[in-house]
Amino acid sequence: MQKFTKLFLRRMIFTLVTLCAICFSAAAQTTAVSGVVSAKEDNTPLPGVTVTIKNTQQGVATDANGKFSLNAPTGAILVFNLVGYEPTEVPVNGPVVNVSLSARQNSLNEVVVIGYGTVKKKDLTGAVANIKGSDIKSQGVSDVTKSLQGKLPGVTIEAAGGNPGSGTRILIRGVGSLNNATPLYLVDGVPVANINNLSQNDIQSIDILKDASAAAIYGSRAANGVVLVTTKSGKSGQTVIQANANYGLQKIAHRVDVLNAEQWATVSNQAHDAAGLARLDIAKNPESLGAGTNWQDAIYRSAPIQQYDLLLSGGNQSTNYSVSGSFLDQDGIVKVTGYNRYNLRARSETSKGPFKFGETIILTREKTISMPGGWGGQGGDPVGSAAKMIPVFGIYDPTAQGGFAGATGPVVNVANPLAQLNLEDINRVSSSILTNAYGQLTVLPGLTYKLNFGYTANFGTGTDYYKRYVVGTLFSHPTNDLSISKDQTDLLLVENTLNYTKLIGKHSIQALAGYTYQKNDYTYLLSARTDLPDGLENIDAGAGTSTTGGNSIQSTLLSALGRIIYAYDDRYLLTASIRRDGSSRFGANNKYGNFPSLAIGWNASNEKFYGSSLKDILSTFKLRASYGVLGNQEIGDYQYSAAVASNINYVTGTTQQKWFGAIQTSFADPNIKWESTKTVNAGFDAGFFHDKLFVTADYFIKTTDDVLLNVPIPGSAGSTSNPVVNAGSLRNKGVEFGVNYTDQIGKLKYSVFGTLSAVKNKVLQLGTGTQQIFGGQPTHHGASSTLTEAGGPITGFYLIKDLGIFQSQAEIDAYKGKNGNVIQPNAHPGDIKFSDTNGDGQITAEDKVYMGSPFPNFEYGFGFNASYKNFDINAFFQGTHGNKIYNGLRQDLESMSLEFNYSTPTLKAWTPQNTNTTVPRAVINDPNFNDQTSSRFLESGSYMRLKTLQIGYTLDGNMKRKLNVHSLRIYVSGDNVFTITKYTGFNPDLGRTGSIFDRGVDFGHVAYPLARTFSVGLQLGL
Amino acid sequence: MKKILIFTLTVFGLFSCKKEVLDKTNPNQITSATYWKTESDVQAALAATYTLFRDVNSGYWGVRGIELTNGRGDDFFIRNDVADLYRLSTFTNTPDNGPVNDFWNGSYRAIFRANQVIENVGKVPGLSDAAKAAYVSEAKFLRGVNYFNLVINFGDVPLHLKVPVSKDDYFVAKSPEADVWKQVIQDFTDAAANLPTSYPSNFVGRATKGAAIAYMGKAQLYSKDYTGAETTLKQLTTAPFSYSLMPNYQDNFLATTKNNAESVFEIQLADVGGTNPWAGENANEAIGVTTAQEFAPAEVAGWFEVSPTDKLFNEFQKEKTTASDFDPRMYATLVWNYPGATFYNKPFSDFQLLFGYSSMFKKYQNFNQNGEITGASGASDYTSSDNERALRYADVLLMIGEALTMQGKVAEGFTYVKQIRDRANLPAIAAPASQDALMTEIRHQRMIEFARENQRFYDLKRWGLLQQEITNSDKVGKEYFVPGKHDYYPIPQSEINSNSKMVQNPKW
Repeated sequence: MQKFTKLFLRRMIFTLVTLCAICFSAAAQTTAVSGVVSAKEDNTPLPGVTVTIKNTQQGVATDANGKFSLNAPTGAILVFNLVGYEPTEVPVNGPVVNVSLSARQNSLNEVVVIGYGTVKKKDLTGAVANIKGSDIKSQGVSDVTKSLQGKLPGVTIEAAGGNPGSGTRILIRGVGSLNNATPLYLVDGVPVANINNLSQNDIQSIDILKDASAAAIYGSRAANGVVLVTTKSGKSGQTVIQANANYGLQKIAHRVDVLNAEQWATVSNQAHDAAGLARLDIAKNPESLGAGTNWQDAIYRSAPIQQYDLLLSGGNQSTNYSVSGSFLDQDGIVKVTGYNRYNLRARSETSKGPFKFGETIILTREKTISMPGGWGGQGGDPVGSAAKMIPVFGIYDPTAQGGFAGATGPVVNVANPLAQLNLEDINRVSSSILTNAYGQLTVLPGLTYKLNFGYTANFGTGTDYYKRYVVGTLFSHPTNDLSISKDQTDLLLVENTLNYTKLIGKHSIQALAGYTYQKNDYTYLLSARTDLPDGLENIDAGAGTSTTGGNSIQSTLLSALGRIIYAYDDRYLLTASIRRDGSSRFGANNKYGNFPSLAIGWNASNEKFYGSSLKDILSTFKLRASYGVLGNQEIGDYQYSAAVASNINYVTGTTQQKWFGAIQTSFADPNIKWESTKTVNAGFDAGFFHDKLFVTADYFIKTTDDVLLNVPIPGSAGSTSNPVVNAGSLRNKGVEFGVNYTDQIGKLKYSVFGTLSAVKNKVLQLGTGTQQIFGGQPTHHGASSTLTEAGGPITGFYLIKDLGIFQSQAEIDAYKGKNGNVIQPNAHPGDIKFSDTNGDGQITAEDKVYMGSPFPNFEYGFGFNASYKNFDINAFFQGTHGNKIYNGLRQDLESMSLEFNYSTPTLKAWTPQNTNTTVPRAVINDPNFNDQTSSRFLESGSYMRLKTLQIGYTLDGNMKRKLNVHSLRIYVSGDNVFTITKYTGFNPDLGRTGSIFDRGVDFGHVAYPLARTFSVGLQLGL
Repeated sequence: MKKILIFTLTVFGLFSCKKEVLDKTNPNQITSATYWKTESDVQAALAATYTLFRDVNSGYWGVRGIELTNGRGDDFFIRNDVADLYRLSTFTNTPDNGPVNDFWNGSYRAIFRANQVIENVGKVPGLSDAAKAAYVSEAKFLRGVNYFNLVINFGDVPLHLKVPVSKDDYFVAKSPEADVWKQVIQDFTDAAANLPTSYPSNFVGRATKGAAIAYMGKAQLYSKDYTGAETTLKQLTTAPFSYSLMPNYQDNFLATTKNNAESVFEIQLADVGGTNPWAGENANEAIGVTTAQEFAPAEVAGWFEVSPTDKLFNEFQKEKTTASDFDPRMYATLVWNYPGATFYNKPFSDFQLLFGYSSMFKKYQNFNQNGEITGASGASDYTSSDNERALRYADVLLMIGEALTMQGKVAEGFTYVKQIRDRANLPAIAAPASQDALMTEIRHQRMIEFARENQRFYDLKRWGLLQQEITNSDKVGKEYFVPGKHDYYPIPQSEINSNSKMVQNPKW
């Protein structure tokens, strides 16, 4: 209660001074002014706020109900101050002045969104990371989540493919599941599959619930964390019109170095000679070939990206609204690819008496033009094909159907990538609606009932128009074919919640009880036909055979939930929650799961013993700890029942007709049940020097049991797929730090911030105990590179070890096993020596050893914002350290045993004249398997990237008045400006989707390189 | 106050839902619990088991199966395009080889499906005992063929004879080769007991009693049970069987003369169903094979993956016919630059021989078309409808001949070999005097009679002549052949990884 004593003293002084002032300024006219001061975020009254008249010492403090009254001269300005809130000045316009104070950034009075409600940071016991929309500075990206990389401790954001529109993957506190590690996303309370299609400028804040206590209220879907996105809403009394425009250019950041025609022919001849085979005809005369075709130049371009949006918001005491529209158009750096998106959003809230109604409606339309995945053969998608295509071949051939030339002769069938891009049109148009509507009734003071509806619908149409062509001698497609698929995904959510808030003396209680229902529907239809005439793209035009297909999936979730948040005197905090979920994904015995959690916290800085001297340094300090159980059910539907698959047809009869076939083709486990994750979390939040420096830290242990996974069963059991079973146990342990320092030196305002997360994972148990899951096949034909087994990390790299190059036949002959036999009898000088780890005298899969993990030892982000007069600058770096990447594309390009293009290091292939090299000899049939999956292609994936650099200029008062605008800022921005890494592939931030067991493997067939963007933009407020 | 409370609770109650809401059944597929109700269910199950023989990735008579069964022979070359295939043909393959892994998995899937038929046919109401026995026999035949294919390629393999009930049933250790042969012969014996001799026209192509007997005899021959093989196979030379050699050898390899008199067991293929041969097991799959497209020359947009070696080319020329022309089997199997040679309606001189060999494969190619891209349905789906003949009467005759010769009955053995020679218009010769001489003749005849028919490598293996014949050939990679190791494929690495009871083959 030193606060109160201090204030009382201040009050006394102010009154005395005021009296003196009155004596000395008899000429000033004063009126009685009163009002209520409340918190902007949740309208709770704020006691203890000092209200002073500017430039005087006169003032009062607000009482327990936030009320104040004093006498002030007309035209005076009142200054409102409270620790933890932004100082606010308001002119005296009348006898009543009501003021809302906004919480200071990162202070404990900030309001944080948690499930089904909000709570002040000081009352929060869980681990929640929060970011404001205004902190998401980078503009040259199409997807808001890309700008979050490295900004939130414990949250890893990776690209999910580099192609435009591909979105991101968010991982919270490591990988907690082997099946599906995506968190639960909610936009204004409505579950969505991902947030890739939101416009950045629509976002008010993103709150990420990381530990069990925060997320348990979402129970069954929260095991991987919860991402809560709140879109902007209007503020009473302020009508805002904001327009933003941004235009940028993207260029490929890093290519792979491959040979030109003359160099390739030289290496190819070397390889054929070494194997004693005839040289290829096309390589016969290297000098005459010159540089040939640069295939990578042919497919990449400088691509523009532009975004425009407009936001209108405003409101009064009873209603507020926010309406926005945006347009984004992004061309891909690979020719032909691109993405565009239209968004329209409306949000409003109306209160009258005990009622409050509100809704959010977001309409989105997206179109994605993708590159084909491959035309068969061994090249893969155009990015992979461009690296592998032999530079001797030309791009165009006007005499060929389709107009493109291609590979001829006895070479690997890699397709002309430009032909792939131009002769097959693949696009997807997707329209979505997200609606949220709620009605809230204040039944009794402190008791509110809320009925919340959410509905999302996504309508997608995928089109694949495959033109007729002859490309070289290896690729031929005689008819134009068209395939169209339509899918619809609906979600309906109905939630009833009852919320009770009460303050009894020093005890504050917030209780919640609820009952929810969620239903998902998915339907899919496909229609395709062959042999269309040129230029027509409709199914009816096709003269050939038709193909149709369709299926549907339904799932439901029923839940009951409850939570209590209790605080004693703002010092001792307790949160307890429980949720019971029933899911249609499991069989009759295991439909339900219970997910409880408990958390405690202590606001040490509010204690009596906390001296003021300590407060000057450590102004706020809170300790928290929590424990909880969360569930995961992200497997396919109907996995618990074995199905009979149909249309496994054969042929029969003298007239050779189709013979319909159907049979059970795979196994199922009827007893699969919920995956459950137990998390223990301990952390603290500390503010130093009056909250100038803010530090948050957490330590957690997350254990997942009954991991649902397709456990590989032997092929000899005869199933076409691996059944989903509960078969494992994982543990993730880690620490997270977040630091933020804000200060001002004269006119220079700056803030510096950083995050650091380190997570270690371990597989405690897997399948049958000795179960091993192999994954990460790096090339079309290579052996797997990763292994997951009990006692080791998830998807660690297990590789045969490369020990260098045999320099002479004597070395080869000396490399013997225990039985005296030469271990690598097929080796010649210049071949790679492999480690016979198990000592059995042969190099086999049994010689694999653990060589590193695709997960980093730690990830970090740091940056600063600074502003001086009208200029501002912000920069943000992000990186990882300690992760390894297996470079599959390099395994192909450095192989020299296959007939396609090779990478530049092969110019230094071992020869008796050039022995000081790490690249083995060129030999076309590779009897020693130099190019097998081994540690030769495992590289360090650590990187540090300057993710965003932005410099802006805000117009000052004079200019603003001239242009009649409220605010105007222009800026230039760079994204992915530079990357410091040792990795030689396209991008160490791999973006590989699909199985967790393929993580960390750069599979050349599905790559899309990283783009560097420079853009200019303006932000206008009217 | 109270009113508001009651109102709230009522609203709460209204929106609470019933438990049945959580019971969702798959709207796209029936579950196995409700299957096996009618005869057509059984037939559909058999169709799903047969069709694995032609599966594009794993089928023994699908394109990869043709490549991996023929690829190691001294008469076959596979080019360096699909690395795994090149490696297995040059004896530089490793246990993670993709096509070998797929073939292993495909065979066991067929075995799982056959086991389902065997165990569930009894449940179907309304089927006569005779019908049930016939269906069980058909399933046992299919199981037997799959185990036959597995044992000649891998040696010791696990025996799955029941549908797995619990998770422990997935993991079975491998059985010694001799036990697998016993099971194979048992399955064929059971099959031969109840299969019909022939089918009505709408089911021509399914396994007949003759097919089961032929395979049983073949298994006995491979097991060196020569007396058994003789007795078994001779049944096929008399009533009720009416097999005979086609006068025109080429009729065995054309799509227009399928399921003919010489055919004992044929894999049925047609460009029906869907239009995508790589669609997977669903309605979009074209139910032919892509083999002809993959083997066709570049000049007709084929992928020219294989070539006959010159050893084979020369073997055909060792004897001319009575009209002093090349052996008709040479004209049917290969195409080379002879006067008037045409291929795909073009003179053969338009084609370039890319690998240094003198000929290309013609057998099973649709060489009367302009190319292989357009299937018989008219769609450009790379699908060939030319049935693969898994077992021909010619093989039966030569097997009887071999069985007799190995028992020392040389004169009688020669009468069977003579039928093959006569069909090929070869001049009459005196019966060879010794067992060795006749065996040499049988080996020669088998090499040129069955080229490209998945026999050569396995014949050499059972004669113990792999090392000798591969060394004496122009086969690329012959220097990497290790006797005792490359006789068999290694157990696929993924099987070793997932089956704790599995042990790798020796020397791998």
